[in-house]
Formats: sequence, C-alpha cells, structure tokens
Amino acid sequence: MVDYRIDRRSGVATYVQIVQQTKQALRLGLLEPGDKLPTAREVVEATAVNPNTVLKAYRELEREGLVEARRGLGTFVRRSLGAAPADSPLRAELEDWAARARAAGLEREDVAALFTAVLETHYPARTPDPAHPKTSQGDPS
Amino acid sequence: MTVPAIEADALGKRFGRRAAWALRDCSFRLPTGRVCAVVGPNGAGKSTLLAIAAGLLAPTDGTITVLGTDPASARPRVGFVDQDKPLYPQLTVDETLRMGADLNPGRWDADTARRIVAGGDLDPGKRIRALSGGQRTRVALALALAKRPELLLLDEPMADLDPLARHELMGVLMGQAAAHGTTIVMSSHVVAELEDSCDHLLLVGGGRVRLAGEIDDLLAAHTRVSAPAATDLAPHDVVESRTTGRQVSALIRPSGPLPGDWSTGAPSLEELVLSYLRNPEALTPADTLEAAV
Amino acid sequence: MTATLTAPATTDRPAPSPRQLRWLYRLHRPALLTGAAITLLLGAALLWLGGPLTDASAAAWKEYNACGFSPTCAYDQSSILLYKDVYNYTTFAVLAVPFLVAAWAGGSLTGREMESGTARLAWTQSVSPARWLASRLAFPAVLTAAATGLLVWLHRLAWTAADGRVDTALSWDHFPTFYANGTVPVALALAGLAVGVLTGLLLRRAMAALATAAVVLGALWAAVHAALPHLWPAVTEVSRLGEGPLGSGIWVGEGILTADGDRLAAPCLSGGIPGCGSTLADLGAVSFYRDFHPAAHYWPLQLVASGALLLVAVLAALTAFRLLRHRTGKTTG
Repeated sequence: MVDYRIDRRSGVATYVQIVQQTKQALRLGLLEPGDKLPTAREVVEATAVNPNTVLKAYRELEREGLVEARRGLGTFVRRSLGAAPADSPLRAELEDWAARARAAGLEREDVAALFTAVLETHYPARTPDPAHPKTSQGDPS
Repeated sequence: MTVPAIEADALGKRFGRRAAWALRDCSFRLPTGRVCAVVGPNGAGKSTLLAIAAGLLAPTDGTITVLGTDPASARPRVGFVDQDKPLYPQLTVDETLRMGADLNPGRWDADTARRIVAGGDLDPGKRIRALSGGQRTRVALALALAKRPELLLLDEPMADLDPLARHELMGVLMGQAAAHGTTIVMSSHVVAELEDSCDHLLLVGGGRVRLAGEIDDLLAAHTRVSAPAATDLAPHDVVESRTTGRQVSALIRPSGPLPGDWSTGAPSLEELVLSYLRNPEALTPADTLEAAV
Repeated sequence: MTATLTAPATTDRPAPSPRQLRWLYRLHRPALLTGAAITLLLGAALLWLGGPLTDASAAAWKEYNACGFSPTCAYDQSSILLYKDVYNYTTFAVLAVPFLVAAWAGGSLTGREMESGTARLAWTQSVSPARWLASRLAFPAVLTAAATGLLVWLHRLAWTAADGRVDTALSWDHFPTFYANGTVPVALALAGLAVGVLTGLLLRRAMAALATAAVVLGALWAAVHAALPHLWPAVTEVSRLGEGPLGSGIWVGEGILTADGDRLAAPCLSGGIPGCGSTLADLGAVSFYRDFHPAAHYWPLQLVASGALLLVAVLAALTAFRLLRHRTGKTTG
C-alpha cells in the first residue's frame, strides 16, 4: 500500500507527485503486480486533494501501462518498474558503497552531489525537470 | 450535455430599491461533479451568490438554475452551510443530529453525521452553545453532509478551523465528492486554502464574476512574461503589468505565439487571482466563462 | 387557520414529510412550560376567586347589609377587600396574556431565528420556508386559543358567581370586565401571534420584534376599543326633558331631539337645572335621547370585535407567507 504525501510547496503539480510516488513505490518493490492501489476516496480523505486530481494521476499511470482499472474493483498494479527492488544485489552494492562513503568522511550533501553527477552522466535528462513541470506554453492537462 | 449543477444568467441582487448591487450581471455555468472555489475579497458578493443558489434569497435580476430546476425546488437536494454556522444553541450535539434526521426524512445518512462529529472528539451530550467555533463548524458540516446533497454550498467553511481539523474535514469533503460525485462549491477569501482541493474557480469581485472555469484551463490561458520596458504587449490581453527599471513584467492572456526574447513563466493560482482582483478594469475573458461547458 | 396556506410539496420524489412538531416543541419547551404554568396558576386563581373568595365576600356583604348603620357591627372586611384585589389582578392578568403571546412570537418564534440565522438552517434542511412558517403559526395558534379560551371561560364563571351576591362586583360594561369575559382576548392573542411572527420576519431582530409586536398589539386593541361602540347598531332611549338622558350600558352618544326629529348636542343635561329649561326650549328640544348598548348587545359586540381581530390575524399571517416567498424565491416547476 502506498501512502501519498502531498508537498504543497514543492511546486510540482499534485497529480505528478502522485504519479512519482507510485512509481517510487513500484521501483522499491513496495507495490507489486496484482497489488491494489488505494481508492480515490481513500486518497482524497487522507490528503484532501481534489478527487479528479487522483483520477488524473491514475489515468496517467494506466496510460503508461503500469496499472489497470478493473470496473467496480479498483485499480491494480500490472507490472513493476525497474530492476532494482528493495532486496536486489544492486541495492546491496549501493548500500555498501554508501557505508564506505560515510566511513571516508563524506557529508550527506557530498554523497548526494556525487550521486547526482554520476546519474546525469549515465542517464542524460529526458523528462522535464520535475521542479518546473509547467513551462509557460506547456500542456497543462 | 448533462444538466449543470448551477447555471446563472445575468444574475443580479440588491437589498432594497436604492441599495447598491451586491451582485450584478453574473453569468456562469458550473458542471456537476466539480469542486468549485468561489474566491474574492470580503464583501465581493460570495455569500449573496451562495444564498441565492441555496434558495434562501430571491435574485432581483436574471435567472439561476440549480440542478436543472429553480433554487426553491432544488432545496431538498442541496446542502448549505452558512458563514456563521447557525445552530440552535440550546440543543445538544446529539439532539442537533437527531433533528437533522427528522427534518430530512428519507435522505439522512446517520453514519456520515456520526463519523464527522466523532472526528472532533465531541461529547454528544454537550450543548451547542458550549462548543468552540471549530466544533460548531463540524456539527454544521455534519448536518449538511448527512443530508446526502447532490450539491453542497459552503460559505467560508474552514474559517474557524485549526489546520489539523481543516485538513481532516477537507478530506471528508473530498471523500464525499469522490464517493457520491457531489458537486461542492465553497467560498473563501484565502486562495491557498482551496488550491489543492478545487478544480473549478469562480472569481467574484465587486459583485461581478471576473473569472470562471476549470482551474487548469484558466492557468493554461495565462502567462507571466517579462520583457524590455518599451515592449508593446499588444495584441495579447494584459491583465496586469508593472514596469520596474528597464523591464516590464505582466500577466497576459496570449492571443498567439510570444516573441522568443520574452521570458515567460506559468502563474500560480494565487498570482492569477490577485492580478485580477488588483485590476478591476481588466477584461474578463469571455471565452473562459464558457470553457467549462 | 394557516395550515391550508402551506405550499405544495416541491420535491421531485415523494419524501415523507419532515417531523417538525417535535423540534418546535423541543426548541420552545421553556416557553411552553412557562405558558402552561401561567395558565394553570391564573386558572387556579380564577377558580379560587369564583369559589371561596366570592362566597366569603358575599357572606361579608350579607353581614354588612344586616348591620344597617349600627356602629358596633362587625363584618368580614378583609374578605371583601381580598375579593376586590384578586378580581382586579386576575382580570388584568387575563388581558395581559395576548401581549405575552405577541412578545414571545416576535422575539422568540421568528425574531431570534432570523437574527441568529437558524431559520436559514431550517430552510436548508428539507423544510421549505412556507412549511417552517406554517408550523410556527399553526401549533402555537391551537395552544394559544385553548389557553386563552380556558382563561376567559374561568373568568366569566368567577364573574357570574359574584353577580347579585357581591355588592362591589363590577358590572358587565366595566371595560376590563367586558373584555375579560368574552372572546376578545382569544382573538387578540391570535392576532398577537400573527403580528409577532410577522414583525420577527420583518425586523429580523429578537428584541426589536418583541417590543414592536407588543406595541402594535396595543395599538390594535386601542383601535378596536375606539371602534367598539360602532360595531353593532346601538339602542336609542328617549326621555323627558325633566329626567335627563337615560339608559345604562356602553355609551355611544346623547343629545336632544327637536319636534322635527333633529338630533342636537345638549348644552345641559337636565330641564330641572335653573336656566337649562329655557336654553333647551330656545333650541326647540322636546326630549333627550341616548344611544347605548344594553347588556343584550354583549355577545354581538364581542363577536364582531373578535372577528375584526381574527381578520387582522389572517392578514398578518398571509403577509408573512408572502414576505417569506418574496424573499426566498418561489418554486416555478
């Protein structure tokens, strides 16, 4: 089960936050194929966001083939994301690396900067910067 | 096209023949299933508009249709919470809810009422006159929601609530909208309070509707630009512009592609609302009034 | 009186009608209990007056009259005085009841609900404004009519018991007695209810409506009192010039009649007074006349006055319905 947390000050559109947090849960293996997403009602009662925003996020996830809506039953996960579930060897290696970085005296920010730099090298940006999801002429829908 | 929740045409209201118009020439259409924010400064006519829609005030001018009929006939299907949250002070919380059940036979949802009141840790035997403002709001909302309205009209519903209760009750309202497709209209003079919960906007200023439509559409139709001071912003519609030094910054409704040397940005809902309220002369975009159709 | 004015149900599905009566009772329980207590106490006082007090006073008067002018004779003076006091107080109290009703109706029944906004709360439950108003007129009207009706009946019983037995018992045409013995207080109370409800709706302030309703009811009563002699054709009694005008009851007018049958104002009231005879002769007077209402006119006068007051009550109630419909909008569908 995912527990959405909406950050009003992030500048990221609310439905994008829901999409991102769902994907994050899929990546970390917190959500697996067959799992049921919370209903729109459950999400809005917990977050007080507009129901249509939740439905929009779910539609987006459905469009990407990650979830499917089953009439009258709810929305279910179709496939997981990424090859790095919480208990994969890659994660163990990263854990190991992080422990060594810390032992070497690196601060949290140092590690984050290093990681981001490596990430940028290997995964050049292909999605818009999530900090500014809506550019002036961007499609708001 | 389905029946709109509210459709107003040239709606006007004044209290007395010589009085100023509290509301004038208001035309808009609110589709069902929306959560609509009625935003505007104090005294803008928000309460008058809601009271007319609730069938509590007859308009002086124009027409209004609520759920496909006149407001008086729609009354049993409409929930309303007044700004002052009036309740009978001599009744207990429990009695107030039982009164709601008796006065709304065939519609009353006792579970919803109990759930909303229970969220506030309220002693059901306590008299209304002994409650805090926030607790009264909770009871008033319980009365309105347990009626299972198709349209819920809330005048400044969150004003008396602490942030925690505000979040919780807004969640309850959104849950109601999600579960029953209830159309909710709520007024506030604090835009930020409604931004996440509402998908539709009705901006009222000086007794007139300044903006009406889906919030996403309204935001998409406007752009924040900055350009060199001498730049002519025409033919775009300028809502607000300010020249500082060698630069002019403005909120515009682009009527075509913008020159590449202007720097642009998306306005927030609050910026949009404030720009319109600061500039009463700015033209109301006629197209946005119909954007919701 | 007003139930027929209720607007037809406007819901698109047949919903059971809201149970308003229970909540009307609950909201106004203190007023109802107070009203019941006043009715019971005043009723008990009137029974006491008509029974033991009248008997004691009548016995005292018998003693007194048996005394003649003997200076040593003893009689129960305190019984006589007590009867008189209690009679005056209870009569006054019966006549004050309509004002209590008007003040309550204006202040509490509608004024306070308009002031605090609870009326709007009721109208946005499944209770239409017309139904809300109908319940606030109909049920109190029944209780008011019953309570005032009981009180004037008991007052009349007490007054009748003393008739011919208590020498200071007031005659039928003594005005407080005249009103308290008949149907006028009932009609006045119903008019007070309707006027109070209307002022509450108009003024939308509890205290202002309370005071205004009482003042308006006072004015209404004053108007009825001024019109009272003319509400029924008077009886004319003609008397000789030496006797002066004759005929007792509710006075309407008097003067002199000439040989031609003309009615003139009388410059003086007895041919026996020196100078008066010649003045009357100069005017050509042949007799005195007096227009008045004898005791037989008691019920016609009461019923016409009550009818006029009830008409005012109905008009006030209709105005209240129209006002509310004008304010809140009417159903067109």
